[in-house]
Amino acid sequence: MSKEESIVKIRDLRLSYYTRRGVYHALNGVDLDIMRGEVLGVAGESGCGKSTLGLTIMGLLPRNAAIENGEVMVDGFDVVRPLREYFRRSKGKFKPTKNDDVLKKLHKAMMNIRGVKVSMVFQEPMTTLNPVMPVGYQIAEVLLQHNVSLLAKRRLARAKATREDMKAILGYLRGNDMASMMDYIKSRRLEGIEDQVMAYWRRRDLHDLVKEIRILSLCCDAVNPMLRPGLSYAARTNRLPSAPVLRQLVRHELVKEGYRKAAEYLGLLGMPEPEKVVKMYPHELSGGMRQRVVIATAMINNPELVILDEPTSALDVTIQAQILDLLKDLKQETKAAYMFISHDLSLLYQVSDRIAIMYAGKVVEVGPKDSVFKEPKHPYTQMLLEAVPTLEPHELKGIRGEVPDLRNPPKGCMFHPRCPFAMPICREKEPPTVDVGSGHKVACWLYAGGGEKK
Amino acid sequence: MIIAGRHLKEYFPVKGVRGAYVRAVDDVSIDVHEGEIVGLVGESGSGKSTLGRLLVRLLDPTAGDVLFNIPDSELREYDDALERNDKQMVKKISSKYSILRLKGSRLKMFRREVGIVFQDPYSSLDPRMSIADIIAEPMIETGLYKRAEALERAEELLEEVQLPRDFAYRYPHELSGGQRQRVAIARGIATNPKFVVLDEPTSALDVSVQAEILVLLRELREKHNMAMLFITHNISVVSYMADRIYVMYAGKLLEYGPKTQVIRSPRHPYTQALISAVPEVGREMRRVVLKGDVPNLVMPPAGCRFHPRCPVAVAECGWDSGEVSEAINRLIEARYAELSGKLSVKPKGPLALEVRGISAQQLKQIVDAESESTKALKAIYSIKDAGDHVEVSLAAPREPRLVPVGPGHAAACILLEGKEGK
Amino acid sequence: MARRGGLGGFWNEERKLSLQVFLSNKPAVVGLVIVLIYIADALIVQFAPWLLGLKNPYALTPNYINPIPQPPSWKYPLGTTYPGVNLLTAIIKAIRVDLGLSVAVVLPGAGLGIVIGIIATYIGGWVDDLLMRITDIFFSVPYLVLAIAVGYVLGRDITSMIIALIIVWWPLYARYTRSVTLQVRELTFIEAARAAGASNAKIMFRHILPNALPPVLVQMSMDLGTVMLVISALAFIGFLPVSNFPELGYLTTLGLNYINTAPWTILFPGIVIVIFAVSVYLLGMGLMDVINPRRRSSL
Repeated sequence: MSKEESIVKIRDLRLSYYTRRGVYHALNGVDLDIMRGEVLGVAGESGCGKSTLGLTIMGLLPRNAAIENGEVMVDGFDVVRPLREYFRRSKGKFKPTKNDDVLKKLHKAMMNIRGVKVSMVFQEPMTTLNPVMPVGYQIAEVLLQHNVSLLAKRRLARAKATREDMKAILGYLRGNDMASMMDYIKSRRLEGIEDQVMAYWRRRDLHDLVKEIRILSLCCDAVNPMLRPGLSYAARTNRLPSAPVLRQLVRHELVKEGYRKAAEYLGLLGMPEPEKVVKMYPHELSGGMRQRVVIATAMINNPELVILDEPTSALDVTIQAQILDLLKDLKQETKAAYMFISHDLSLLYQVSDRIAIMYAGKVVEVGPKDSVFKEPKHPYTQMLLEAVPTLEPHELKGIRGEVPDLRNPPKGCMFHPRCPFAMPICREKEPPTVDVGSGHKVACWLYAGGGEKK
Repeated sequence: MIIAGRHLKEYFPVKGVRGAYVRAVDDVSIDVHEGEIVGLVGESGSGKSTLGRLLVRLLDPTAGDVLFNIPDSELREYDDALERNDKQMVKKISSKYSILRLKGSRLKMFRREVGIVFQDPYSSLDPRMSIADIIAEPMIETGLYKRAEALERAEELLEEVQLPRDFAYRYPHELSGGQRQRVAIARGIATNPKFVVLDEPTSALDVSVQAEILVLLRELREKHNMAMLFITHNISVVSYMADRIYVMYAGKLLEYGPKTQVIRSPRHPYTQALISAVPEVGREMRRVVLKGDVPNLVMPPAGCRFHPRCPVAVAECGWDSGEVSEAINRLIEARYAELSGKLSVKPKGPLALEVRGISAQQLKQIVDAESESTKALKAIYSIKDAGDHVEVSLAAPREPRLVPVGPGHAAACILLEGKEGK
Repeated sequence: MARRGGLGGFWNEERKLSLQVFLSNKPAVVGLVIVLIYIADALIVQFAPWLLGLKNPYALTPNYINPIPQPPSWKYPLGTTYPGVNLLTAIIKAIRVDLGLSVAVVLPGAGLGIVIGIIATYIGGWVDDLLMRITDIFFSVPYLVLAIAVGYVLGRDITSMIIALIIVWWPLYARYTRSVTLQVRELTFIEAARAAGASNAKIMFRHILPNALPPVLVQMSMDLGTVMLVISALAFIGFLPVSNFPELGYLTTLGLNYINTAPWTILFPGIVIVIFAVSVYLLGMGLMDVINPRRRSSL
């Protein structure tokens, strides 16, 4: 199943928020795929449902969100099935409290997806970080949730490795012979050391000599013999031992290891002095550094998809440039797919492979970046692009009118009240999504032959 | 000149710490001509909003003066007098045009002549007042109209900002963000002011709405010949709106000039980096990525405030012994592991360091090899053996002055000052 | 002025929503109903005692022929207390007194506190410091002790008790008003008003107060219960010298000697006090929901 091309597959997703002021139809039939290893940019104005879409993939919906139809397959797992089934059962008598019970069960079912296969970075880093914990501890905790075995292996490998082992490994690294290095590590049963070795080897800011000294010093770090069985158990089963005292001791050891891994990872993300940073509290860091920490927490378990919800909107332009640089590097180094949600089209042009434009809870246009930006098909996309100010000024045109009230959305195409090309059929029927070539799809009657048929 | 700020400083005391100040604006001068749109660009913490508030006297400056509606000839006289340090003359002109000593009805008259529009359309409108009352407030308070007339005029103003007249008796929460910002603009221009400060008026809005608001603002300028100070962090927006641009960083003015000059050929390294960091559709960025963060304004860096992040910094930019010792420590940690633990660096006064555990020769080699990647090392002026330790002295920092680099275009960078400074 | 919707516009969307939010908080509705019952009781006893057949509405009617407390019966649904007082009618009469006293304390106390809180923020500087230090002093002494001390100085009667409680109560409101006012003062529309040329007084009374008062008013409603508790406590420890005075705390003292043989003499008045205190609290929580924008939008 995991050999599929797409990591996320969304089909006809319809989601509504039940509020005192009425039922908001937030998503109205979203069809979208996120391919493995790609960066999908999702653009749209506020209230178009782009954040809701991200939260749905994560299964992080509030209790008044009703899934009225559709499926969201994350690596073969339908995230919204229980919610959808509850909505069907409720037959129009939707109760947030009952929906909440379903959500709680879903949270449990998603333990092995959230944070491992899919993770998310939010706009405001301060809201994701716990203000009373050092950032290293927070990263360590994420690791402990899903990667106990990796931490234990790393610790054991450091205890077992001898100076000769490290010299041998360094030899393979110098020769750039990764396969033989892995063979050597396997034969010496040193799994877990490669994670640490590579973390230093790939650092750019370090001098080669420093890297080598650091790698050589990875050996001979003896473990308290009382902990050894507990650590081996954790390494084997990916779980902490259940004996209460041993459990706490092993946990403590692994949190320390987590700090170490966190520092290595932050170093890879270009954070200066990562060993100091992991011991700091979020308020001691600047906005850009905080966002880097949040990205590290999201990436540290090597997820297959990272959802970035306006990750740079709260940051200054020069700091935004730093984060964009970081994301570019990450994209090269990991095989993860990214869903980059932003209202800033010019930003999306810089980072994405494909772009999806959303309007009033629907994907109105999606396709390869160049195709969408150079030949936008949907009138909304065209107008949106004309509204973006550029360094070399051009005539700006806004979009007249307001985003539709999603409590009683307009009939037919949602955009027709603001569309200069609106035809009679646009007011009647929802336009189908048509492919205009090379994966560029658009939901507009101008391209679905609506004009003639009328 | 409709408004001229001269050597403005605004220091906010830090609560609970005596003698500590946030130097939000530090010695900034700014001119706005009649009917001109001036863009004020900067990142958060650059002091741009504070400067905007100083110009309409929502804040009183710690030092400096704001002159309103002053004929150019007298402003020139004033500047000359400042240069000559002719206090009497300065006082004479200032008493005529300064807004800082206005009180009572004269202050109200000034309030009538200026307006301000704030960034957040959600908190800038009183939720318990109707739209008509909100727009009418400046007209009534400055004594321009009586209440009944003001309310009538409020409806006209709604039309002017392209909102239906019947919005007058609605309340702010019934309006969308874009509509609220139009109301805020209507209030800002209600008294037909000669000068309006726009403090990030579109950064909380969607691009489609932003475009409409920007077009509206330009129309209003054409119609009423208002001068505007457009404060924003978005250079593309300024490039659409402004005639001239001022660039601020950490409370200082780094560059100003005509729009096309500043955007096409920025001269200050910060402006260059800022402009290169603007993402654009259809153009892959070749950005200059600045390291680090905006400095803390309680103890700002000496010399040029941008020097710790500057990609082209030189010896005299303002490095002090603390920065240099930290740079050496970091360098040893990252690249000269064999020295780590042995070498110790201690600042001795602002411009001298004491280094132990290394010979002068060795240190010289390291400094020569690394000064391109670690700019702080450039400040090292001499390295001398002194018995058991090495004495390092640093070049004295220089405060950059704004130097003209073109017609009406100036930048504050010592690289542009050439030899004359030495 | 032609307001949208005309006169029928009282139930506009916002007001309807407020009502909806309040009604969805079931405990608050229960609280409201109970508080209304208490208020109805007080009004009837004050203006139309004949409706309940009360002959002597403003004092207790002792029956010295049979002073020993009787258990609840058809004749005395809640039993009697010493000296032969019908507990049901006594409680009905006492509710009027206690409610009246609470209002008499809370309204002037809150009024004074709000005015002082506003003065403190409006003038600021040393005036603010001084006023807040004074409230600190009041806060540092337990209010019951303080009330007893003040009452002792002023003499033991109802007026002095009310004055004592007002003196104890205003600092609470001064503090609360000040903190809410300071919050509102930081909002941008205050700056906008200043830019419009509005004077400080106008900003205070036209912009800050209308936005700062609602939470203070909610606090007032909640305090009615606390004040009633305190009044009863003071009466219980003998602060009220008048005999035959229908007051809930005083009622409980009447049965004190019979606590083992006739527990209802203490139980019933006590329950009536507690129910009121809990009800106004629940009501206050409901009102809090109404002014909380978060609760307004979610379901």
